[in-house]
Amino acid sequence: MELYSPEGLRIDGRRWNELRKFECRINTHPNSSDGSSFIEQGNTKVICMVQGPMEPVLRSQSNPNQANIEISITIANFSTTERKKRLKNEKRLVELKATLERTFEQSVMCKLYPRTVIQVNIHVLAQDGGLLAGITNAITLGLIDAGIAMYDYVSSISAGLYDTTPLLDLNTLEENDMSTLTIGVIGKSEKLALLLLEDKMPLDRLESVLAIGIAGGHRIRDLMDEEVRRHGNLRLSKVNV
Amino acid sequence: MSVISITRPTNVYDDEPSDIEMSDVEESGELKKESAGESIVTPGELVTDDPVWMKGHGTYFLHDQTYSSVAGSVSRVNRLLSVIPLRGRYQAETGDHVVGRITEVGPKRWKVDIGCKQDAVLMLGSVNLPGGVLRRKSESDELQMRNFLKEGDLLNAEVQSIFSNGSASLHTRSLKYGKLRNGIFLKVPSSLVVKSKNHSYNLPGNVSVIVGVNGYVWLSKSKQGASSTTSATTNKAQAAFDSSSSGYNPGQGSVSITRLEEESSWEIYSDKNESISNSVRHTITRYYNVIKALAFGELGITEQRIIMGYEASLAYEDVGSLIDKEAMESICQDVINSEKMRG
Repeated sequence: MELYSPEGLRIDGRRWNELRKFECRINTHPNSSDGSSFIEQGNTKVICMVQGPMEPVLRSQSNPNQANIEISITIANFSTTERKKRLKNEKRLVELKATLERTFEQSVMCKLYPRTVIQVNIHVLAQDGGLLAGITNAITLGLIDAGIAMYDYVSSISAGLYDTTPLLDLNTLEENDMSTLTIGVIGKSEKLALLLLEDKMPLDRLESVLAIGIAGGHRIRDLMDEEVRRHGNLRLSKVNV
Repeated sequence: MSVISITRPTNVYDDEPSDIEMSDVEESGELKKESAGESIVTPGELVTDDPVWMKGHGTYFLHDQTYSSVAGSVSRVNRLLSVIPLRGRYQAETGDHVVGRITEVGPKRWKVDIGCKQDAVLMLGSVNLPGGVLRRKSESDELQMRNFLKEGDLLNAEVQSIFSNGSASLHTRSLKYGKLRNGIFLKVPSSLVVKSKNHSYNLPGNVSVIVGVNGYVWLSKSKQGASSTTSATTNKAQAAFDSSSSGYNPGQGSVSITRLEEESSWEIYSDKNESISNSVRHTITRYYNVIKALAFGELGITEQRIIMGYEASLAYEDVGSLIDKEAMESICQDVINSEKMRG
């Protein structure tokens, strides 16, 4: 199996700097949540539902200075090619949760909502690489839909290194065979809110991988922004009737 | 570095895609000032680089430039610049008439869920207790707070003030506020409630409705002689007189005014529903579904629209069929049409 052909085509026919199909929807569950979103990044599908800011259920969850962000992730048993039962407190998931909570505590203006909790529920319906990136993008859209103040979009994308070529937006097959870097870019800047590299990557190649990742993140941000504007204008037009 | 991405072809939106803004950020800052009245801004977007504007809600200030922090429309009031989010939880303001539910009984206070970010506070000192409007609250009152209001009870109240941390303080120091009975609770998005002078209405069919500014609605059987007691203009003496006249029972002999007031006050906190006839129950359900239909069509909820929706719903014999999608749509359409007819 050839991950990157000499002609410059990847296993699914993409170029090295090509994103997979990215689709997103905002306000998908208006009645059951304060903010909701759905994203599709290639075959990875994630639903996000945001509740809050609201009064915490337990006193211990409330912080007098800022809002608490709580993320719960459910990965469907049918989300991969083989059916597998997943435990809620699996080590990987706990780490993923901690990473996401730390990312969004920085990007959300938590200081504005003291003594409250923002509950984010994630449902992963299908996974085909870039799980963390997909979840991050879904949460960004969900928080925007809930009207929660944020400094900027956090758009996330994965990138890998094959031999000497950086590849953008890896799918499962590619992710299994090369080291993957997931980054979360803040808006149109080059600042990162999230950086996760689970295996090794040569330091002299890191820059080129980061560069394509940031460029990809900006593109994702534009696609999400387009959807937010489309939805916003739709809502405004309804109000002004 | 360039990125290739393939997306489904979409029709061009009236708001041009953001690619253009990226290329000329300097100009778009100026451009937006004119057009921002209609269009929306998204988080991280530059709203203005003019430092004369004061920074309101939904914005943040960085390097002498004001950015938006939520997705919504820009509002400018004098020199105050703020962004109103498209969606979001209800934000309490002083003077709002709200419907809420008790979630907690605490020391000298009740916690009330009013759909806000944080639960509101109802102090023991800001409710009317049996035995006179202006009496001191004693320790025995503190001990029997659950006899007045307990967890799960619904009440309507007015927002008295907002604390610095954003939570609201309520009061029920008027005869039109207090515990709710004889009806049904309904929740609609708070953005649909149109603020007005009065939020409790008597509807045709012996039904009253309280449309809380927070989007919590209470539909109930009208009180006997309610028209005189609910009007906000009656002064205290008048109100006391009204309550005494409505609570007057022939044959019990004459009782002093204060005694009567005490009795009627205890009545305010009673948990027992009056008997409600089947026809009134049906009407309440009909109104319930009409308000639901209005919320479905994202129409602002006003007294006029509820009544018009009710009239339109009479075409449907079965109240239960009103929650069908077609029925809801047709009711909304009827309301819009009859509004157009009136001009």
